[in-house]
This record gives sequence, structure tokens and C-alpha cells, in this order.
Amino acid sequence: MLTGLAVVGVARFLQQRQDFENATARSYQVEIAARNRLAAGTRPGAARTAIVSQQHERQSLRNDIDGETRDTALLVGAGLIAGLTGAALLFSGLISSMRRPLEELVEASGRLAGGDLETRVKIGGLSETATLGAAFNEMAAELQRRAGERDQLETMKDEFVLTASHELRSPLTSVQGFAELLMLERDKLDSKQADTVEIILDNTRHLVRLLNDLLDLARSDAGRLTIKPALTGVAPLVEDAVRTMRSQTEAADQTLRSEIEGELPPINVDRDRIRQVLVNLLTNAHEYSPEGATIEVTAVHRNTAIEIAVSDDGPGMAEDQLEHIFERFTRGDAGLTQHVGGTGLGLAISKSLVELHGGRIGADSAPGHGSTFRILLPAAQATAPDQPQRVEA
Amino acid sequence: MSRVLIADDSETILLLMRTRLEMEGYEVVTAADGVEVVELMQGDTEPPPDVLLLDAMMPRKSGIDALRELRAAGIETPVLIVSAHQDEMDAGAATDVEVSGYITKPIDFDRLFACIADLTTR
Repeated sequence: MLTGLAVVGVARFLQQRQDFENATARSYQVEIAARNRLAAGTRPGAARTAIVSQQHERQSLRNDIDGETRDTALLVGAGLIAGLTGAALLFSGLISSMRRPLEELVEASGRLAGGDLETRVKIGGLSETATLGAAFNEMAAELQRRAGERDQLETMKDEFVLTASHELRSPLTSVQGFAELLMLERDKLDSKQADTVEIILDNTRHLVRLLNDLLDLARSDAGRLTIKPALTGVAPLVEDAVRTMRSQTEAADQTLRSEIEGELPPINVDRDRIRQVLVNLLTNAHEYSPEGATIEVTAVHRNTAIEIAVSDDGPGMAEDQLEHIFERFTRGDAGLTQHVGGTGLGLAISKSLVELHGGRIGADSAPGHGSTFRILLPAAQATAPDQPQRVEA
Repeated sequence: MSRVLIADDSETILLLMRTRLEMEGYEVVTAADGVEVVELMQGDTEPPPDVLLLDAMMPRKSGIDALRELRAAGIETPVLIVSAHQDEMDAGAATDVEVSGYITKPIDFDRLFACIADLTTR
């Protein structure tokens, strides 16, 4: 309505201007006619009067039009200001009714990007923002559905790996157990039979390692490789691992010995997991070293950490090989691995496990000079031994 | 002479364990599942076993459930849980019942004998 006023004002102004032009033109025509009469000498007195009166007439028309213009200008101005104010009010209403939903969308997008797949926006307000909100909610629901499907697949995969490894483990337990039983009575076997049993045993152990490594790898990928630390003595841990390896190293005429520094503080570790790492390092030493080699495990105190090292006097490794040994599916030189039953996963898993404990693993080696693998584990915080509370009587 | 009760649903594994344990000089009693374990332990098995070796997963009644029942009945015989997985021990035991140790399959017999010796000479 207010803008209408401005339009009306402008139209009126144009009409008045037209009227003024027409009136002025008519006045000039009358004056010109009077001047012609004056020049011709026809009634010069009347002609002079007419000229003066036309000049006055135009003066008054100019005065009028100035006044009218000022009024019209005021009117137009008022109309325009009122119109703009109205538009501004209308827009600010529009903007504020869009701003809230848009802000909410931005916030919800942030939450969605941050992983909150349950986030939704309120649908309402203008139809445009409502449509946008509905589209956003649809997208979020779809994302949530897909994430759910992915989680479900991930769970199914984990369960499958777990079940498969479980089902395979029972028959493997029997095969390995009875082959070991035969080996206990090796004296009663001829050499060909004994060799046969040994092959069965080697391959069974390989299968078991494959199963364990695959299981750990699946867990590690799913971020589910977990540890349950408990205060553990270093010596029993090392001896446990050494005992596990004893029969294999003896079968290869290898010397396996351990040297553990006295009075080592305990370490806060998952006993089974660190034992697994040690057995892995010992198995590597055993498999990559020739018959008759010497394998040594040492444990010493290093500042606030305990260093457990497994060294062998086997063939060793070149530097370029050493760089990659903790990566997955990296194995020693093919020439050396013919008798080696590794999966190429052992050291990668060992590294993950040691790092889960806040420790480090490393290796030193040179061709022809054997290899040494070291793990550094933080010593347990030196807590004061429980002192009996002294109660004053 | 220590007596060991072993429970596993696989006859082959029972045979394997019995053979190895008897070679080590243990007397062996066997059970096919947790129900049999509880019956044996609550009946008058004479003399009572010194150590129980229970498979974590067995039909009818798992080793973990049998262990829980025995403890509730006040039977405190040391128990070693034998299992195919670290995971199922984590899931089933440890949380509410005390276990003397875990043995994973395939069984490392040297380790098993060391554990049993440790429990029976205490």
C-alpha cells in the first residue's frame, strides 16, 4: 500500500508536469500572437497587456508547479521510505524465519560430520527450509542405515573369523597332540617314520600360527586388539616363553638360553600377549637360524624400562631388509625361508602388541652376524610397598 | 598321586589329554560336559580330584557355567580353563569367577604340566 502511494505520487507528478508544459506552451502561443499583433501595429495597447499578462501567467504556473513538485517529491519520498521500511521489515521477517532453520542445519551437519548419525533437524518454517530440512533428515537416515549395515557386516566378518578359527582349532589340537605323542616315542619309530611325523608337526604348527595371526590381524583391523595388563614378573614370563620353545630348538640342536638380570622390577603387561611376542621372536630366531645355532634371551633394566632381547647367531639381515621387517607380509630372504613357516604377520602383530603396552620394538642385524630383536617395556610405577598402618594406641 | 578331572566334548581330545596326563603319572577322571562335571564333583568321587581341566565351551553346560556352580556350592578345587580362544575366556569367565589359569588349544602340554604341578604342590 505504501509503495502504491509512491507510485501514485510519481504518476501525479508526471501528470502535473504534463499539464504545466501544456499550459506554458499555450501561454507562449498567446504571447507570440500578441507580439505579432504588436509588430503589425494592430491594437498595440491590448497586445502589450496580453504579453505582460502571459508572462505573469507563466510565472504563476512556474510557482505552482514548483509547489506541486515539492509536494509530490515529499509524497514520493514518504512513499519510498515507507515502502523500503516495509520491504526491510518483510525481508527481516523472511530472513529471520530462514535463519533459524539454516543455522540448525549447519549445526546438524557439523554433528553429522562428527559421527553423530542420529542427528536430525526440526522440520518447519518456510516451505524452502522445510524441504531442505526434510532432505537433510533423509540423508542422515540413509547414512545411519548404511553405517548400521557396515557395522553388521564387520561384526559378521569378525564372528566368521572367530568361529572358523575356533572350529579349526579342535581338529588341529588332536593332530598336533597325537603327532607329539608319536614323537615322544620316537625311539620306536624308524627314521623315515620319525621324519614323517616331524613334517606333520611342522605343518600343524604352521597352520596354528596362521590361524592365530589371522585372528589377531582381524582384531587389530577392527581396533579390537586389546590387552589386559597386570603386574607381571619378568623372569617367569621369559621362562614361560623359553619353555614353550624348548622342544623345537632341541629338535634342531640349537642352544636356547636365557639370562635375566637379578631384582628386575615387575612390568605392567598382558602376560599372554607379551608371551606371544616373545614366542614369536624366539620362533623367528629358531626358524631363520641353522641347526646348532645359539639363541639367547636377555632381560635388563634400562632407566625406567625393561629391555628384553632375543638374539641369534643366524644369517642376519641386510639393512634394506631390516627397514621393512615390521611391515605386514614381509618375510626374510626367499633363499632362507624355504624351511620357515612364517606368515609374514608375526612381527607386525608383535609391534602392535608392544605399542599397545606403551613400549617399543626394534631390531639390529648385519649379514653374517646374526640378529637381535629388542622390546622395551615400561617398568611398573615404583609404588611404595604396602606398609602396615601404624595406629597410635 | 594327583588326580585330574578333565572335561571336553571331543572324545579325541579327552583321549589325547588322558594319555599325556597318565604318561606324566596323573590319575585321570573324564567328563563329557559341565553337567557331568558338577555331578562328579558333588557325588562321592573318591578321592576327589585335585585339579579340574574344563573346556570353556561344551554342550549342555559350559566349563565356565560348571565352574560358577561349583564355586556357588562351596567347592574350591583349582580350575584350569581350556579354550580355543582368548576371547571366550574374556567373555565367559574372569569377570565373576576366579580361575587358576587358562590353557589355549592346541594344548602346549609342557605348559599344562607346569601349571598342574604348580597348583598341586601348593
